[in-house]
Formats: sequence, structure tokens, C-alpha cells
Amino acid sequence: MKTPVSVLRLPRGPDPNSRGFDPSSPRFLALCPTSVPSSSSSSSDEEEQRLRAELRERFLRTLLLMTGKRVRFDMHEHVRVHARFGASDIDVLNLQVSDLETPLGVQREALLRCQDVIACSFEV
Amino acid sequence: MLQWIHRSPQHWHGFINHEVCVTNRDQQRFEGRVFTVDPVSASVVLVSVQENECPSVRVILGHAVTDVQILRRGTEETERQMKSVFLPDRAQDLSAEELKSRRESVRLWLEKNRVPVTEDGELLCVANALTISAPYRPGDCSSASEIILSRIQSLVEKLPSPEENIPGHQAQLSRSNITSVLQTQ
Repeated sequence: MKTPVSVLRLPRGPDPNSRGFDPSSPRFLALCPTSVPSSSSSSSDEEEQRLRAELRERFLRTLLLMTGKRVRFDMHEHVRVHARFGASDIDVLNLQVSDLETPLGVQREALLRCQDVIACSFEV
Repeated sequence: MLQWIHRSPQHWHGFINHEVCVTNRDQQRFEGRVFTVDPVSASVVLVSVQENECPSVRVILGHAVTDVQILRRGTEETERQMKSVFLPDRAQDLSAEELKSRRESVRLWLEKNRVPVTEDGELLCVANALTISAPYRPGDCSSASEIILSRIQSLVEKLPSPEENIPGHQAQLSRSNITSVLQTQ
């Protein structure tokens, strides 16, 4: 196992929170769904809600299964990295991972933006 | 043509259990059986369908999906196989008598620890705040209060196995502890 690299302290970007994680940044607000689009007819509201709940529960179980496992992240420009999955936030905008293997070295803890990730795969 | 992320839950639900081919913006293709589509991010969860390898799961983020095509429809058998990968062991593995005796032992253990518990069919109801469903393991407790949930879960975890269940076995929680837990909700 490669030794983790020390955390790089980069100079601050133009905005106070330029890494894209600031909840009040325009980027976050644009990506984060503040309202849920629903079907026009009100009679099927309950049915739609039930389907949403079922889909979301299954997805949460997927995340549960993924925790602690070594996951391969496929990102843009055919970049592939491996890391140990930790958690996701509620809107699936950021993923917390440990021991992220990068060309720079192994980052002990890291936060991946979901906009950068195309797919994650793991063995059960 | 609506984008994938703007589709309705009904549309997404229609893909569950079927083998699909997901295309993304770079024209990459991913194949597998759909376990679910997250309604918040429209991410597609695919399970590999190969028989002899251990199952692998792939989550494709919603923003990257351009098209999803059904290749083969699934059956009840494939649904069951897929679920067994994700969901914990089903209670049907235990027979009715085993479930009953387990429910009884959990109930007695809770009563011994001064926890008010009632039986409601197959469920155990604790102080109107928490329910334990079959097969009555720590992971089967559900409650609206985090504090009660963690206390009762750790208590159920300490349930002694049948050999250790002697009458003089010390209760894990004192009365004052329990009343203070139940009053915090």
C-alpha cells in the first residue's frame, strides 16, 4: 500500500469558496434541485410518491452496500481512479472517499464532485 | 425528447429488473440489469448479469446518461436474484416457530431490562416509539427517535444466546436509565 501523500495547500481561488462545495454558490444552487418536478395530474400524486420512495430506498441500499468497498470511479477524459467509498450527500452532489489513488499519490481523504464522475463500479 | 434527468418516476420505474444498455455523452455503453434509478439524481444502478462471476454493481450518474434501451426483459427469478444481492437475509429463512421463539426471547429480554414492550402480530412495539420486525435483529429496529433507536439497538445486540439465558442474568439497563431515555423523545 503506497504511503499517503501530505495534503497539498493550494493558494486560494478567486472566490472565497472556489472548490465548488459552497452551498450558496451559484453552481451549487443550479445543480441542487430545490423543487421536485411532478406530474401534472393530482390524482396520481400518491402513486408517484410511492414510486419515488421505492426507487430512493433501493438507491440508499446500493449506497449502503458500497460503503467501505474499493470502488472504481470513471471520470471525464477516460480518467479512472480507485478509492474506498465513504458516503454521499443527500442530493448526490459530492462523494466522500478514503485512500484515493491518484497519479500524484494516495490521498488519505478526498471529496469527489459528482459532476466530475461518470460512473462508479464495485464488486459485491 | 425529454432528457433522462427530467423523466418521471413512472418512466424510471419501468426499467427496473430489465437488462438495459445505457449510453452516455461520450458514446460509451454500459450494460446490466437495472436495480433502481435514484429519483434525486436520476443515477442508474446496474447489476452485472454474468452467472459464474461474483456480481458487480455499477452506478452511472444521472447527468451522464443520454439514452437507456431495454435489451431483455427480466423475470421474477431475476428480480429475486438481484434483490438477494442488496437486501439483507430475508426473514423467510426462519420458520414460523423459530421466529416466534426468537420474538419471545427478545421480548423477555426487553422486559427484563424494564423496557415497556407489547406484541402486535409479528411486530414488537417498544413504548410506542420503536418497532422491531422479524427476525428481531438490531438492524430490524425502526424508530423516529435516534436516541431511542441507538439505545434499544445496543440492548438487542446484547441479547444473550439461549445457553446463557439463566434466570439470574443481570439486566443491562437500570430503571432510571430507561425512563430518562424515553422522556428525551
